[in-house]
Amino acid sequence: MRTDLSHLPPSSPEEIRAMTCRAGLDLPEELMQQFIAAWPAFEAMVRRIPRNLDRAAEPAHSYRPLRIVRS
Amino acid sequence: MDPTFLTIAELNRLYGQRELSPVEVTRALLDRIAAHDGKLHSFIRVTPEAALAEAQAAERELMAGRRRGPLHGIPYALKDIVETAGIPTTGHSKLCHNYVPAADAHLVTLLKSGGAVLMGKLATWEFALGGPSWDLPWPPARNPWNPDYLPGGSSSGAGAAVAAGFVPGAVGTDTGGSIRGPAAVCGIAGLKPTYGRVSRRGVFPNTFTMDHCGPLARSAEDIALFLQVIAGFDAEDPGSEDAPVPDYAAALTGSIKGLRLGLVEHWYAHGAHPDLPPAMSAAVEVLRGLGAIVEPVQLSSLRDYTDCKTTISIAELYAIHEKDLKTRPQDFGRILRNRVLPGALIRAEDYVQALRWRTVLAREQAMALKQFDALLTAGALGVADPADPNQPDRLVSVPSITMPFSVGGLPAIAIPCGFSRAEGLPLSLQIAAAPMAEPTVLRIAHAYQQATDWHRRHPDLR
Repeated sequence: MRTDLSHLPPSSPEEIRAMTCRAGLDLPEELMQQFIAAWPAFEAMVRRIPRNLDRAAEPAHSYRPLRIVRS
Repeated sequence: MDPTFLTIAELNRLYGQRELSPVEVTRALLDRIAAHDGKLHSFIRVTPEAALAEAQAAERELMAGRRRGPLHGIPYALKDIVETAGIPTTGHSKLCHNYVPAADAHLVTLLKSGGAVLMGKLATWEFALGGPSWDLPWPPARNPWNPDYLPGGSSSGAGAAVAAGFVPGAVGTDTGGSIRGPAAVCGIAGLKPTYGRVSRRGVFPNTFTMDHCGPLARSAEDIALFLQVIAGFDAEDPGSEDAPVPDYAAALTGSIKGLRLGLVEHWYAHGAHPDLPPAMSAAVEVLRGLGAIVEPVQLSSLRDYTDCKTTISIAELYAIHEKDLKTRPQDFGRILRNRVLPGALIRAEDYVQALRWRTVLAREQAMALKQFDALLTAGALGVADPADPNQPDRLVSVPSITMPFSVGGLPAIAIPCGFSRAEGLPLSLQIAAAPMAEPTVLRIAHAYQQATDWHRRHPDLR
């Protein structure tokens, strides 16, 4: 059974443009081209994150109300 | 007496014996910076008048027999993401070119109270991530061992300035290795303390859940003295740990007999610089010779740790810089922009999964540290990179050997353990231990440095 998303095909330049637009970014074309070149390595990285963690696995941060009160 | 490469411990002794004064040392180091930093660009801003005023004040107090602590009258410098009241703090970025903070970072307050002498603000990668960059208002720092090479990053100026003999100590920050990396490739010591050991208040954020401040210096002993002044609880830093600050220098017993050390050899056994594995083997033999018990230990791959850390980081970085990326993206350097923009496409579930994975990876380290007093591995996988503006960005493609202990939030020090034959550049050993076990890390590093002299070798800047 797959434990990550690394089998998914890489996003196309058009898909990267669409995702960037949906994120509210309006990049000049030169910067968009740089980003389209940069994103695939990050996309591959995020897809390697395991997705089969135990249901009760806690994220590595916790809300500590006493600390907020003290500060 | 030439104070260029005197350690903080040696300066303290000479101040005590009145053989050298803070003003003499400060003047000599300011002259050295003026003579040589034009090639190295380690400083963004030198503050000579303020430094001399602080040195004179320290000298008056020391002469009157009032010693504030181990950094009294000791020159140091700050990575330029640490805020300083009345002194510009740029983040090495066009975005903060004219930013002058109204208040000092908490650790600067501690250093001022301790009588340390601020010499200026140091080059960094843009906002402690984007570098080395050639399209920023200031050039990237260069490596004092060979200015055709870089000093690592992101505490690039700190690594270069300490190695060059401009200051005996500096403050850097470390999210994924930004203290240990420059220390490793500049042939000095750099400590990333436990997460929460040193306050981050007043320091530009990179990744809230992994930002650390810590010292770079030329010996483990100096790291202990520096840490003594900046460590401690800060109620206004939500990540700060309310734990007692031990006497770090007292931990430097010189003995590591019987300590159990886990060697994470598989992280550097393949793909590293060819001179690194033999240098590490030699370092392990030194530690065994001192009575330590060194055994192999297997942890998750560097790829896993790097993926986990970087996913968390870019999500947090994007949140920090979102407003500017949407309104003035062209004002960021190309490298930083292309490292942070991906955070816009990280989904909430990706970020949370990475945080959950961090718990799993941190527990793996905690389990290993039930068997061992400390973990050993390399401080860097290679030597310094060439200063080539056309190098490809390797943030994601090449796994990092410093990121595992960032994920774990553990104290970790990088110290020199040799030089490469071809380039003549420093190689480094990394030592990590359980949370708040800085005394153990420093004890091992100090014992190693008592038995070796790598840390006493310095670059010739002529």
